[in-house]
Amino acid sequence: MVILEALHNHAQHIPAKVALIEGSREVTYAALWDNIVRAANYFSGIAERGSKVMLSADKSVDFVFAYFGAHLGGMTTIPVDPSVNELRLQRILDSATPVGIWGKLHAGSAGREVKPFPVLDNADALTHDYVMPSEYDVADILFTTGTTGLPKGVMLTQRNELASAVNINHFIGNTSNDIELLALPISHSFGLGRLRCMLLQGATIDLLGSFASMKKFFREMDDRAITGFGMVPASWSYIHKMSGERLGNYAAQLKYIEIGSAPMSMADKHLLMELLPRTRICMHYGLTEASRSAFICFGESMDHLDSIGRPTPGVEIKIFAEDGSEVACGSEGELCVKGDNVCSAYWGDAAEEYAASFFCGYFRTGDWGYQDSEGYFHLISRKKELINVGGKKLSPLEVEEVIDAMEGVSESACVGVKDDVMGEVVKAFVVRTSESVTSDDVIATVRSKLEGYKVPASVKFVDNLPKTASGKLQRLLLK
Amino acid sequence: MEVKEKVIAIMAKNFEVTPEDIIMESSIGDFPKWDSLGNLALLQEIQDEFDIELEPEDIIDLEDVNDIINIVKEKTK
Repeated sequence: MVILEALHNHAQHIPAKVALIEGSREVTYAALWDNIVRAANYFSGIAERGSKVMLSADKSVDFVFAYFGAHLGGMTTIPVDPSVNELRLQRILDSATPVGIWGKLHAGSAGREVKPFPVLDNADALTHDYVMPSEYDVADILFTTGTTGLPKGVMLTQRNELASAVNINHFIGNTSNDIELLALPISHSFGLGRLRCMLLQGATIDLLGSFASMKKFFREMDDRAITGFGMVPASWSYIHKMSGERLGNYAAQLKYIEIGSAPMSMADKHLLMELLPRTRICMHYGLTEASRSAFICFGESMDHLDSIGRPTPGVEIKIFAEDGSEVACGSEGELCVKGDNVCSAYWGDAAEEYAASFFCGYFRTGDWGYQDSEGYFHLISRKKELINVGGKKLSPLEVEEVIDAMEGVSESACVGVKDDVMGEVVKAFVVRTSESVTSDDVIATVRSKLEGYKVPASVKFVDNLPKTASGKLQRLLLK
Repeated sequence: MEVKEKVIAIMAKNFEVTPEDIIMESSIGDFPKWDSLGNLALLQEIQDEFDIELEPEDIIDLEDVNDIINIVKEKTK
């Protein structure tokens, strides 16, 4: 089974049901399937099965047709952010060598021709003799942002994508009655995953450009009777700043919210639960390579809100030491994931290189953490971001939490910098809202709350911190 | 400079477009840089520049250039 087969079934069984909404345009499941077949026809006329096509993942129905159409035509898609910078684009093009680029790119095209998405309304009759892709065909190559160095291409098969969608729908409890507002970027695993989840379920998805216009966001909530949406913690900060607690007016309407991609403060978790007491507020832990590996539903795990939750149905997580041996409950180590959601390969990596990403069949996430006695997993840090001060490892998050709570500080990031004596010491990068905060204040505050080795040896004030498009802090860029 | 010209000049600078690109109906999302981060920065600069404070109930209804000019005019009355 592949997701396309579910779409085909929906076109047969619920043809008049609205699958996609974009502004005033509505696309039924019957029309969605017709356009997917037409797009498959188009791509089949251009390239052979197995070719790679790059698609600018703008949130439009045309992208959705092209995306699934390319899959039906036997292609692998490489979705990219429409605002991708030319350097990153060039690197992806050099690495993945797609047969062409479709959609619109806002920041240049590295000298390559960019074709518009195919116009399908007047396309030829549905003569395409389509063959469903196999579950082992590579559906997408998603290039991760990467904290340093070159973007890495994560290869996801049809089987991987179906497994993730099934797991997510199972945990969140999505049904065909759901109408979801999709304001997340869909060039990334989170947003693209939401699209697949909803369509697999035969639900309706309303494509909204972004969260930027609160007026538009609430208008869609009202007009389309939205039952859920996905957001990153930064989206919530924005919604809250721009509209106060108005989201609470939708408490009876919102069945679920999926949150992911970055940590969320405890205060925000509690505020959301207060505003939406009946909504399933589900936060995931995952990475492009192993989408949504763990979930926590805030209301059901009130005593464990400091954790990333428990493995998603269909996924196993274990903690391994650096030598590859499994560690006991409560001991720290690397989080490793097993399940059909785990990617199949890295683009360009030899099989033996990819095999090094596993311990005993469990994919090494590069995240450091532990499992508590009640089965909840806790994240300490990215393994690469742990700071090793004289042999004692500390998480930058712990220090940042103390600094962020200071008056006059909006946010901070800590990294380890080389030190002749200690090996590494903590350096803090701090964004101030008040110039009166000094380095000495920061150091004194951390000293009053944490152990000596966690106190920053130096503090640098900066205007902003490097982040990915989804708001994830990129600490390694500060090293 | 009038409120309108000043608002448009701030927007043009923030969104890396020319003032001529901006019409009264231009709304959030019309320029690649007018995303949520761009909107936050714009509203902050407008509050600083005109020495006004915008509350969530003011901000929620701001969608296009016209809305922004009107709220500034109202707050600076």
